[in-house]
Amino acid sequence: MSKASRRELLFKSIYGVGGLTLAAYMPGGGVFATPALAESLADPLAPKQPHFPPKVKSVIWLHMDGAPSTLDLYDYKPDLIKLAGQEAPPSFLNGIKTSTQGGVGKLFASNRTWKRYGQSGAWFSDLLPNLAQHADKINFIKSSTTIGATHDISILKLNTGDTSPGRPSLGAWVHYALGSANPDLPAYVVLYSGKKEPSGGSVNWSSGFLPAVYQGTAFRPGPSPILHLDRPELIALKEQRDDLDLLKSLNEHSASVHPEDSELQARLRSYELAYKMEATAPEAVDLSKESDATKALYGLDNEATKEYGTTLLRARRLVERNVRFIQVVSGAVELPGNEIAVNWDAHEHLESNHGAHARIVDQPIAGLLTDLKERGLLDTTLVVWTSEFGRTSYGQSGNGRDHNPWGYTQWLAGGGVKAGTTFGETDEIGLQSVGRKVDTYDLHATVLQLLGLDHLKTIYLRAGRSERPTVVYGEVIKELLA
Amino acid sequence: MKKTFKRTRLAALVVFAASGVAGAADEKPADNAAKPADAAPAAKPAPAPSRLPYGWLPLSASAPPQVSQKEWVRTPIDAFVLARIEAKGLKPSPDADRGAFIRRATLDAWGLIPTPEEVSAFVADTSPDAYEKLVDRLLASPHYGERQARRWLDLARYADSAGFQTDQTRANMWRYRDYVINAFNEDKPYSRFVQEQIAGDELVPGNQDVLVATGFLVGYPDNYNSRDLVQRKFQITTDITDTVGQAILGTTVGCARCHDHKTDKFTQKDYYSLQAFFANTSENFKNPAAKGQVEREYDRQWAKWEEASKDLRDKQAALIAPIKEAALKHHKERYLTDSREAIFKPESEWTPKDRWINHRLENVSTDADLEVYLRVTGEDKDFPDYSAENVERWEQYKKIKDGLKKLDKLKPASGSNTFTAATELGHPDAPPSFILAGGNHEKPLDEVQPAFPAALTDAKPIITPTTVSSGRRTALANWLVSPENPLTARVYVNRVWNEYFGKGIVSTVSDFGKAGDKPTNPELLDYLASNFIKNGWSVKSLHRDILLSSVYRQSSSHRDDVQAADPENKLLAVFPRKRLDAEEIRDALLVASGKLNDKIGGPSVFPPVPSNLNAGPLWEVSKDPADHNRRSLYIFTRRSVPYPLLASFDMASAQQVHSKRDVTTTPLQALTLFNSDIVFSWSQALAGRVISEAGNDESSQIDRLYQILFARNPDESEKAILKSFLVDHEKTITEKATDGKLSVAIPVGLKDTHSLDPIRAAVFVDLVHVVVNSNDFTYRF
Repeated sequence: MSKASRRELLFKSIYGVGGLTLAAYMPGGGVFATPALAESLADPLAPKQPHFPPKVKSVIWLHMDGAPSTLDLYDYKPDLIKLAGQEAPPSFLNGIKTSTQGGVGKLFASNRTWKRYGQSGAWFSDLLPNLAQHADKINFIKSSTTIGATHDISILKLNTGDTSPGRPSLGAWVHYALGSANPDLPAYVVLYSGKKEPSGGSVNWSSGFLPAVYQGTAFRPGPSPILHLDRPELIALKEQRDDLDLLKSLNEHSASVHPEDSELQARLRSYELAYKMEATAPEAVDLSKESDATKALYGLDNEATKEYGTTLLRARRLVERNVRFIQVVSGAVELPGNEIAVNWDAHEHLESNHGAHARIVDQPIAGLLTDLKERGLLDTTLVVWTSEFGRTSYGQSGNGRDHNPWGYTQWLAGGGVKAGTTFGETDEIGLQSVGRKVDTYDLHATVLQLLGLDHLKTIYLRAGRSERPTVVYGEVIKELLA
Repeated sequence: MKKTFKRTRLAALVVFAASGVAGAADEKPADNAAKPADAAPAAKPAPAPSRLPYGWLPLSASAPPQVSQKEWVRTPIDAFVLARIEAKGLKPSPDADRGAFIRRATLDAWGLIPTPEEVSAFVADTSPDAYEKLVDRLLASPHYGERQARRWLDLARYADSAGFQTDQTRANMWRYRDYVINAFNEDKPYSRFVQEQIAGDELVPGNQDVLVATGFLVGYPDNYNSRDLVQRKFQITTDITDTVGQAILGTTVGCARCHDHKTDKFTQKDYYSLQAFFANTSENFKNPAAKGQVEREYDRQWAKWEEASKDLRDKQAALIAPIKEAALKHHKERYLTDSREAIFKPESEWTPKDRWINHRLENVSTDADLEVYLRVTGEDKDFPDYSAENVERWEQYKKIKDGLKKLDKLKPASGSNTFTAATELGHPDAPPSFILAGGNHEKPLDEVQPAFPAALTDAKPIITPTTVSSGRRTALANWLVSPENPLTARVYVNRVWNEYFGKGIVSTVSDFGKAGDKPTNPELLDYLASNFIKNGWSVKSLHRDILLSSVYRQSSSHRDDVQAADPENKLLAVFPRKRLDAEEIRDALLVASGKLNDKIGGPSVFPPVPSNLNAGPLWEVSKDPADHNRRSLYIFTRRSVPYPLLASFDMASAQQVHSKRDVTTTPLQALTLFNSDIVFSWSQALAGRVISEAGNDESSQIDRLYQILFARNPDESEKAILKSFLVDHEKTITEKATDGKLSVAIPVGLKDTHSLDPIRAAVFVDLVHVVVNSNDFTYRF
């Protein structure tokens, strides 16, 4: 082919695919976890020793976004059903600040049937028939408490231990304290359901005042989970390999002038790691090799459960690849009568809201527990079912419930956990915790304990202050540990 | 948290609480807290100077030390540095070559790379004051103010949105950003700069140019959705106090919020006395702005929307009118017990705190809050106020709302006709402030008055209320920049030093307390601080002194002797190389590719983001493509959606004071610079620029590329490496091109594309893209 005709041919094809005016997409995303290190940070992502032998290697943190009413899932209160329709007895409201919007005050019972399951005889409502089969794997915390009356600040507290932004999330602390166990993937991954990232989300997987390398990396839905994982459209794989070889020569040449400079050497390595990650990250979330049986286990064969099930199946694959902390945020769903998709936040229409959300998570979470167990991973993995708060025993808007930071249920399952037991309780109407309460700080301390970390010794020195994940609070709840 | 604090046992308990926490132990029990709250300030004897943290000692004015290599000393700074270098038996490094120097100085002063023409002019300038001319040119450019502003905005936790879950747009905060840029460009004395930001509304009431400075105070992350306004007030005051403490005083006062400071003699009482200066501070983000071009354009566009939407809005108002009172009540009922007490109180009975809460309520309430009531009473049969009338109203309302939504595109896409400023709501009386047990606002102990930290200074605030304000912040601002306060100047000059040399003289730039690092060269720090004050707090003079010093002019080339004697380079016998900041990387790429739109100031912009970022309405890309190539300083700072390219490279977090940029090196950065379509498109544009400027000779092209990016020519081995790449890579590209599946990327921006060999041109694009990714570009040496 002559040069001229080759040129002509190519120009046609270039203009044809818009090669000259590339769509202007931008780079970025969360910084993540591999041991290409800045000199100033020594080796920030190298695996580090825990304080004592850990029970688990990975955590799957299932955040039920919007706050489910655990009164309608796990915390069976016959008295609430009896008293439904009456004003809450004033003694139950002692010491709490409430809103009065929407006729707050009259106790409310939803249309549930309750049964006990397993040898432990744990109560489950009819909303969670599949999860109920795992009663004996679960350790309930029925005296959960927190602070805050709105989601944002309580979600922040759930993840970072403060109601104002700026502190590192629990996952970032884990990442900082333990480093990465797999240089080919981020060690702290966030998965979410739904079309868009949870609003205000990134602050909930932020590294806060820790270096940015420890922040969570949000995995995007679809085959390419990380921003900028894909080569530019017009760069072929082989071409990029050539380019990287050139880059290596140039960087090695300039590094010879700065032989002492480990930061420059780290930057050289980071490109090779990135090249590797272009393959490892998509593989980590590719479900095509999963069997139909496995997919069915997570509800991938069902429209309602497919999205959340996909997220949890991805979570299991990340556990297999030694990702330390996987934070899964549940999504929103479009319900009749609501203009916009809503999460668990049932100020009204609790029946349809919780009916839909329970259906979305029940099969996938049950499937996750089964799958982890069958693969021998449950003993080394901690599954945490958590939310920013619960919902009130009194009704709102006639058929919903308001926010309740005073008493709600969360649960743990997996390695080191006292399975098939319940810790703590709420009062007779399920409004406030009584006895030993479990705050978010205690939950964090306990999760860290299971990872082999003493929350009091997990320290980062910031501007003269020894910071730790539990601020100045928190106690390991020994009763939760096997 | 689990402990009950009792007033009488406060002192014992705070010590106990402190010792229960891991980390450094308290040096001494805090003696202040044991005293009765009111008696402490007057009775307290002057603290012994030796017990003060370093930063609080009076400035010492020592003469520059004697050195042997006298000819190296260009400024007193050099003598202070050289004395320590010589004491170690070392010599300073020779001057960097001029190309390296102008690239370094332009990046440090402007955050941009110089043009090849600027480089060659400087290299060719044989006049004795060539360096002075260069530095004065750099400091006279508005780009200087842009670069220095970014550093200050890190401390001001600047953002264009409120943060938290809903993360609303703050459409006028850019005025504060522009105030900061202008302050640096006008060389506003730093003392005045501080005063205006703390108390501009009290100092020059009614002057918009000064009022916007208080955006420093009120730019805090905020939760507009909060149902607990009492808590919100406490959290806001806390944020402001901690920001001022860290950014200006370089002191981690926030530690004393829950307990007496464990290492500094900073008590809880000191802390809440400092908070008391801000007890009456509110914000107004709806002040009408003076009419300039932005405002007139905004008004014009807004008027269009108003006109088009008038009918619908009138109908909407008519629907709401009959239920307005009930809807408002319903909205107010969402607030918690103690907030409601203030909200439902008649205005005549408001205390200063009630006033704050009601103002806050008004600030964050919108028509959408009224709509909620109409929706539940028109949709929800179980709701107590459900009525057939409201069912009908709601149906109509929804239709109107849909109609209005269609008109949204008429609203101004950016800009504003308002400005945000601090205010005390026209009242001089402030709510009382208390010491709070364990930092819990629901557990007040003793009342406190505004006071400076008793253990650190004997100075007492002189508070003169005005008719509309408490005067408290003026008193604080005056003290911050007064002769009794040596800290403010020390902290700031140290920050500037840190930016130039990668490490402060006190390396913990926001902690000058006992837990912070000791100064490596205290005489130098005190010289810089004293000289700063002597020069009328002129920031430009400070920069000029550093830029023209021999210390700054040194080469960064490796030296075995320095590496052995001073591996951390504390003495600065070699100039420290530095990774470019996130903004510098992007801005330098824009300069190199010839795409930079160097407009100064104005509303923030939204450049394109990767399509899988999934940020929804929080990131709607600016329609005008010219906005996509503005400097990074003007990119909208959305607290919950950090701009991805910058976020990869350790940009500042806008949640709290960001004292120092981290330098991390990660594969994600590599993915970003190598794979981003937009960075790649800049490489294509740069390739086009190089060919336009250097012609078709490949050797000249490579020279030109290096001149643009690195202010130098390639050395022989670099050239050999690159030339052999051109040959070898052609095979790869040819294979790719002929398999018919992929196109090739060619340089863009060329006038004459027909003389190009597309294969060779695609090879060159790849070469350019690789050189852009090399260490030499991402670092300044």
